[in-house]
Amino acid sequence: MRLSEQARVHRQVSYLTDAADRMDRVQRQLATNRRIDRASDDPSGAALAMQYRKSIAFEAQMRRNLENGTAFLNVTEAALSGATDLLQRVRELTVQAANDTLGVSERQNIAAEVNQVIEQLAQVANTSFGGVYIFSGHKTTTPAYAVGGTPPAAITWQGDNGERLRRVSTRDVVPVNIIGHQVFGNLFDRLIQLRDALQSGAPGAQVRPYIADIDSGLERVLNARAEVGARLNRFEATTSRSLETDTNLQELRAGVEDIDIAETIVRFTAAQNALEAALGAIGRTANLSLLNFLR
Amino acid sequence: MALSIGLDTAVKALRAHQLAVDVAAHNIANAQTPGFSRQRVLLRPIGLEGAAWSARDSLLGKPGFGVDARDVQRIRDAFMDYQARQALSSRGQRSAFAAPLRNAETIFNDPSDDGISALLARFWAAWHDVVNEPESSAARTALVHATQTFTLRLQAAQSELDLQRRNLNQLVSSAADEINACAREIAALNLQIKQVELNGDRANDLRDRRDVLLDKLSEVASVQYSEAQTGEVTVYLGSHELVFGATARTIVAGPDPGDPTMTKLTWQNDGFDVVASGGKLKGILDARDQALPDLQRKLDAFAVGLINGVNTLHRQGYGLDNSTGLDFLQGTGAGDIRLNPVLAANPHRIATAAAPNSPGDASIALQIASLELRPNMVAGAPATHLVTGETLSPGVTLVGLQVAQGLQPGTYTIVENPPSSGTLELQYDGNPIGTYNSANISAPGGTIQFTSGSNVVATLYVAVTGTYTDAQQVADLTAPGNNAIRVEVAPGDFYGNLVSVLGADVNRALGMEQSAGLLVDHLDAMRQATHGVNIDEEVTNLQAAQHAYNAAARVITVIDDMLDTLINRTGVTR
Repeated sequence: MRLSEQARVHRQVSYLTDAADRMDRVQRQLATNRRIDRASDDPSGAALAMQYRKSIAFEAQMRRNLENGTAFLNVTEAALSGATDLLQRVRELTVQAANDTLGVSERQNIAAEVNQVIEQLAQVANTSFGGVYIFSGHKTTTPAYAVGGTPPAAITWQGDNGERLRRVSTRDVVPVNIIGHQVFGNLFDRLIQLRDALQSGAPGAQVRPYIADIDSGLERVLNARAEVGARLNRFEATTSRSLETDTNLQELRAGVEDIDIAETIVRFTAAQNALEAALGAIGRTANLSLLNFLR
Repeated sequence: MALSIGLDTAVKALRAHQLAVDVAAHNIANAQTPGFSRQRVLLRPIGLEGAAWSARDSLLGKPGFGVDARDVQRIRDAFMDYQARQALSSRGQRSAFAAPLRNAETIFNDPSDDGISALLARFWAAWHDVVNEPESSAARTALVHATQTFTLRLQAAQSELDLQRRNLNQLVSSAADEINACAREIAALNLQIKQVELNGDRANDLRDRRDVLLDKLSEVASVQYSEAQTGEVTVYLGSHELVFGATARTIVAGPDPGDPTMTKLTWQNDGFDVVASGGKLKGILDARDQALPDLQRKLDAFAVGLINGVNTLHRQGYGLDNSTGLDFLQGTGAGDIRLNPVLAANPHRIATAAAPNSPGDASIALQIASLELRPNMVAGAPATHLVTGETLSPGVTLVGLQVAQGLQPGTYTIVENPPSSGTLELQYDGNPIGTYNSANISAPGGTIQFTSGSNVVATLYVAVTGTYTDAQQVADLTAPGNNAIRVEVAPGDFYGNLVSVLGADVNRALGMEQSAGLLVDHLDAMRQATHGVNIDEEVTNLQAAQHAYNAAARVITVIDDMLDTLINRTGVTR
């Protein structure tokens, strides 16, 4: 084929720009560490990358939900643990008072101690965490129990049975709160009655029935603690599963979006060689002309 | 034969070869001039036809009268020009189309850490944080901010797409200017060429200029042209004559009466619309009137889907102050989506609870946050990817499932509604993603769910033709004689699909631009092979002409010697 001057120049320019363009692209990939800079670089890869990114963000939020839930459960557990101690103490006192050998003043001393337990237990039931009364169901801005009078004459439930739900995985929506009324039941009423009975020097026979009430209260608290413990375990397991998922997703995302450094460097070297070769070839042929051989 | 004839022959030779040198010089001078066609002296021997009839007999068997070099021919292949111009039109169209699409892609800037999909993820995350602590004003304020950032970004994307379209108006106007300028110059050249060639001369350089203009015109708008006997070309744009003889028609750019923000081209003489079938103009108009509006419609559908989905739930909920019935989002599309200003000013009024007086209840907020996972957006509606009116008879291949980007080949199983008979193959991007014998396809109202693990990633509805809103869904799906499908996907997938379909479009447009460019280069090289100047060749011609010139001069010397012999020596004795 005849090769005109313009075609020759045009071709040389396009060889050079093509080679430089290829090198530039590889160079950009190396600099950004990304294989997909915009969706058109690899549309189906970009679709996958967006899926992975979305899932990564979702999993991160699930872990945030779990973390927040774990903190809530830990506070709940601490409160219930305190309730356990208090109930065990009041049980000891009641067992002691059930003994007929105690005199009136001793009973009144016990009554004072029971009153302390009542007040502390009410504080436990009204535990708040970040301004939220954790045992109040959905009425979280209201204390779970209203304490009337000093010493308390009546402690009334003001919460509801609302569950504090959150999502912890694509499948699971779980409650984190424990409903105060379901744990404490009629404990406050009974303890107040017990205190008043002791205060008036009631004999052992009248004190003894309260032990059963305290025991069933203790059982409810322990059940609640078991539930909280189970939830904490599940949260931990879910968290570690989410972390595993995250690792997998990050790998998948990197596999689609990021460059393989070794491979890209090899491609960069190849592109560089190609550009150098093109430059060299043009340099050598540019001066080839019949004129060089004519006098 | 007289010696003077020999001298005459030699003089003709001198002139001819001098002309050859001049032509070589002209060629060399224009070696880099765009559109220049190399020229060649057409040498012809002058035979007996040059002599008078009376002398013919005596000249038989004698040499002729030398060389005739009057004609300087222009080397040009009209067919190659025709092919090259078609390729130029195609390249013009492809590159004009690809550029705005590529800009649109930059507007979306996804996949990235700060694109719309990242902001959408932050929007959902902010809802989750409110679910975690519905009483917390910090979480609510954060939700206000996340929502505002997200909606402002959507608004910006939509208005940038608008801007893109308006910018293309300027290109439409300048394409009109270019067409008019080319047409006027071609008309003027037509006249000059006709006049020059009427005298029997060659209008080589004028024709070169006209060919350059036809190239340029073809790149702007696909034109047809034909050359008349007189050397004039008639140029057609669509069904209208753009240039006829020395007359050029004008096209005018003005506001489109249908949409005054858009520029429209019409013919000045009869007011008809200019129809561009190729070239830059077509690419610009395709991008401005189809690709970009399609993208804007999808973005609107995405915004409307979100607005409806969130508001439907939010209106049922109660804020910390027991306010209820409020919309969370306002607006009619991506261009004006915004957080309800009442909520922006009073985050405690954001409805999170299902009942009044329940500050710790976040069940409504949880449902809103869970919209992220629910296939609740009609993918593609009302844009092109919704398959409507397609008869779902067994064995039919359904296209249009590319809307559900989660649907990668082989990853999903199909549950629910097994078909009574036949098979239905679903495709993703041309590849089957599964043939299944399930789904009671003939029964309208059925659904087919695509699951990944235990998550529903898309729901296919067997439905009526037409477009749907969410509310219409059930009613329409169960109406008799309905046989279209629609695909619903989660919001993130809807947006992801929008981006990756755009990416594929850009990718395709760039590929077509590149291959059109390669074709132009190839055909240009082929054209150049015919009409381009090669310096070595011209230098060789120069050498040849110089040799011939020298030899002709030599002939004169020889004849001069002969005359000298004849005049000064003949008859001189001693």
